[in-house]
Amino acid sequence: MKIALLGNPGAGKSLIFNQLTGLGIEVNRYPGSSVCLECGNVCYKKEKIEIVDLPGIYSLDGSSEEELLVRKFLEQGGADVIVAIFDATKLERSLYLFTQVAEFSPRIIAVLNMIDEAEQQGLIIDVDTLSTRLGVPVLLTAASEGRDIDRILPLALGSSRVVSLEVPYDHHIEAALKSLEKTLGTPRYKNLLALQGTGEDHMLLDSAGAVAHEIELRHRMSVRQIIATNRHNLSRNIAASAVRQGDRKKTYDLDSLLTRVFPGVPILCAILFFLLLSVFVIGSWMQEIIVQTFTTYIIVPFVALELPPLLERIGFSVLVALEAGLGIAFPFIFTFYVGLSLIEDTGYMTRAAFLADRAMHRLGLHGEAIIPMVIGFGCTVPAVMSLRILKTRREKTIAAFLISMVPCSARTVVIAGIVAAFVGIAWAFSIYLIVFVLIIFTAILLSRITPGEQFGMIVEMSVLRRPQARLVLAKSWLRIKEFLFIAMPLLIIVSILLGLFQFYGLTDLFEQLLAPITVTLLGLPEYASTALLFGIFRKELAFETLAVLAGTADLGSVMTAAQLYTFAIVSVLFVPCISTIAVLYRQLGARIAILISVYSVFLGLLIGAIINMLIS
Amino acid sequence: MQPSLREDYLEAIQHFTMTNGHSPLPQDLAAVFGKPESEIRSELDDLRLSGDITIAADTAIILTKAGRSVGECVIKKHETLQFFLSEILGMDSSTASSEACTLEHSVSDETVDRLGNYLKKTRMSGDTIADRQKTAVCGYTGTICDESCTPSSLLDFNEGDELVVRCILGQSSAKRLLDLGVVPGEKVTIRRKQGKDALVLQVKGCDVALSPEIAATVSVERYS
Repeated sequence: MKIALLGNPGAGKSLIFNQLTGLGIEVNRYPGSSVCLECGNVCYKKEKIEIVDLPGIYSLDGSSEEELLVRKFLEQGGADVIVAIFDATKLERSLYLFTQVAEFSPRIIAVLNMIDEAEQQGLIIDVDTLSTRLGVPVLLTAASEGRDIDRILPLALGSSRVVSLEVPYDHHIEAALKSLEKTLGTPRYKNLLALQGTGEDHMLLDSAGAVAHEIELRHRMSVRQIIATNRHNLSRNIAASAVRQGDRKKTYDLDSLLTRVFPGVPILCAILFFLLLSVFVIGSWMQEIIVQTFTTYIIVPFVALELPPLLERIGFSVLVALEAGLGIAFPFIFTFYVGLSLIEDTGYMTRAAFLADRAMHRLGLHGEAIIPMVIGFGCTVPAVMSLRILKTRREKTIAAFLISMVPCSARTVVIAGIVAAFVGIAWAFSIYLIVFVLIIFTAILLSRITPGEQFGMIVEMSVLRRPQARLVLAKSWLRIKEFLFIAMPLLIIVSILLGLFQFYGLTDLFEQLLAPITVTLLGLPEYASTALLFGIFRKELAFETLAVLAGTADLGSVMTAAQLYTFAIVSVLFVPCISTIAVLYRQLGARIAILISVYSVFLGLLIGAIINMLIS
Repeated sequence: MQPSLREDYLEAIQHFTMTNGHSPLPQDLAAVFGKPESEIRSELDDLRLSGDITIAADTAIILTKAGRSVGECVIKKHETLQFFLSEILGMDSSTASSEACTLEHSVSDETVDRLGNYLKKTRMSGDTIADRQKTAVCGYTGTICDESCTPSSLLDFNEGDELVVRCILGQSSAKRLLDLGVVPGEKVTIRRKQGKDALVLQVKGCDVALSPEIAATVSVERYS
C-alpha cells in the first residue's frame, strides 16, 4: 500500500509527513531529476504502508522539475491513495491544484490542515458540503498541534474515493477535448495539457495546437488563461459554498515591521549576522570537543599500533578525513542548518527575498537568489543544490559564481584560525569586506556578459508561524545526511591520495615546482603551496596543514602578519573545494564548473599578489 | 422546435464546418451538445423538414443556403456580443461566452450591427497573425490600449490600492501568475510596495511578492 501526500508549498505537508512516519525517513532522488522524494514506512494494522511526500507545487501544468515529477507520478498511478493536503486558510487557492489532480482520477482523501489558524481567522468550514462538492471524504487537522493527524491513515485506507470532480470548462474547450479524445483516443488530461502546448505526443500537440489557435482567436485569450480561469472559478464557487467568514480575531500584523525597508532591512541584517555569529561560536566550541575526543581515543591509539608505514599512512588518511568530516560537518554545518531551518520554518525567508529583491537586481539576480546565498554561508554544496529554485540558466550561472565565493563555514575557520588569532579581529573582518566587494564586482561583471534573460521573482509569502523544534531538527538532520553522503566519500578518497602523495615524497617536488608562485608572487614560504593544495580538498585543512608543515601551532612565530594575511585571503578565494566542484558539475555541467574553478584561482592569486605588493 | 434551439444547431453546424473543413456527422453534434445521438437525430429531422439542412448519404449534415446564412449570422452575433461583454465590460471570458449564447437569440440584427461598428471604431485595426501572437496571452486586442492611453500596470498604483486584473502581458511569467490566481477579473490588493521596486500583492487571501519586471506585466485597473 502506498500513500502520497500532495499539496501546495507551505500547506504543512512536511509536518504531517513527519508526524506520520517519525524520523525514519529515506530520501530518494527521483530518476533523472535533482528533486528529492521523501519516503517513510509505517505499520498500520499489521500492514506495511509506504508514505511518499511529493514536492509542494502550485499547479500540475507547468514545466518545473517538481511539477513534471508529480505529474509523472500521477500518470503512472504512483500511489494507491493520494492525500491532498490543503491549507484551510487558503482553501480557494488550494482547490485550484485539486481540480487539476482530479483530471487524473486517482483515489483521494482531502485533508484541510491548519484548521487552528483558520479558526483564529474566524473561518467556519462546512465539511459535509465540501465533501459532497469534492466527492471525496474531507478531514480537518491541525498538524502544529498534532490534532487529528492519527485519523489520516484510517481514512485514507478505509474511505478514499476516486475523485469525480469535473471542471466545467468553456464550451469551446470542452468541444475540443471531446473531438481530440474521439479522433486520437488520448485521455482527457493529456488533451488538456496538449491544448496548453505541453506534452510529448507530436501528433496530439499538432492537432491540439490548431484547435487552440482557433479558440484563442474566438476568445481573444490564450487557452492557458481560459483553462486557469475556469478552474479558479470552480474553486471559488466551491470555497464560497463551504466556507463562511465569522468573527475575526484581531492579530498584530508583524509584516508591518518585517517587509518595510525600515526596520525590515536592519532586522534582516541583524538576523543574518546573529545566525553567522552563533554558528561561529557554537561551532568552534563543538569542533574543539569533537576533534580532541577523536584524536585522544582514535588517532593516538591508531598511531600507537605501529603498523607498516604504507598501511599506517592510508589508515591515518582515512581517519583524518573522518575526523575532518565530523569535525566540520557537525559543529559548523549542523549548527548552521539548525539556524537556517529555524528561520525557514518561521516563514521569514520569503520576507528576506522580498527585501533583497532590489539589491539583488543590481547583481543581475532577483530576490529569490538570497536563499542559496544565505545557505552558502553554511556550506557551498547545499547552496549550489538549492540553485534549482532559480528559473533561468543565466540566473543559475551568476548565482553559482557568487555562491562559490561566499565564505562558507570552513573558510570562516581559516579566517578565524589564522587572521583573527594571529593578526587581529579587525583584519579578519577586512577579509570578509574584500570578499564581499569581489562578489559584487563579479556579479556586476557577470550580469553584463552572461547571456540569457532575467526572469524575476514570483514568491508566495509564507505565513509567519512558530517553528517546531522536532521539525527543525528533522530537517537539519536530513540536510546533514545529504551533505555527508556527498562529501564524505570524496573526503576519504582525496585524503588517501594526498597521504600517498606525501608518502612517496612528491610534496617537495610540488613545492619546488610552485615556488615561483608561492614565494615570488605571493611572498609566502615554500611549504604554503602544499597547504593551499590541501585547501582544495577542504578549506579549513589549509590552516591545519600549514600548522603541521610549519612545525608549530603558533603560526605567528614563523610567518609575518603580512604572510598570514595573504595566505588566508588566497586560500579563502582560491578554488572552491572538491565537493563544490563535484556538485557544480552535476548541477550546471562541466563548463561552468571549470570556469568557476579557473576564475577563483585567478582571482585568489591576483588578490594575493596585490596584497603582497602593497605590504612589501 | 424552438427558434433558439434551431439557431444553436445552425450555429454549431456552421462553426464545425468552418473549423474542421468538413460537414459534421450526428455524433459530432452529439459531442458538441452533450446530448444522446438519438435525440440529435430526431431534432435534425425537424431541421431538414424546415429546409435548413440536407443530410447526405453518409449522414453528413450539410447546411442549405438559408440555413448557412442563419448560422453565420448567429456566429457573428455571438462573437460580437462576447467580445463586447468580455473586453469592454470586463466580464470573465467563459461567463461572457455563455451569456452571449443566450443573448444571441434575442438580439436584433440592428443592435449587433451597431455594436459591431462601435467595436471596430474603438479597437485597433487589423487582426493579423503577428498581432495575435503579440497579444495571445493578453487576450487584449487594444480595446482601450491605443497610443493615446497605455494600460496601467501594477507599478502605477500604490500600497493599499484595490485593483482588478485586466490581463497579463508577459509570456514567461504568465504561467506561475495564473497558478497563483492572478487571472483576468480577479480582485487584488497591493499590500506593500518598495518605491518603484518589488511589491507584495494579495490575491485569493495569499501574499505574493513580485519583482518589478513581473509586476509590470500585470495590467490592472482600479476596483470600483
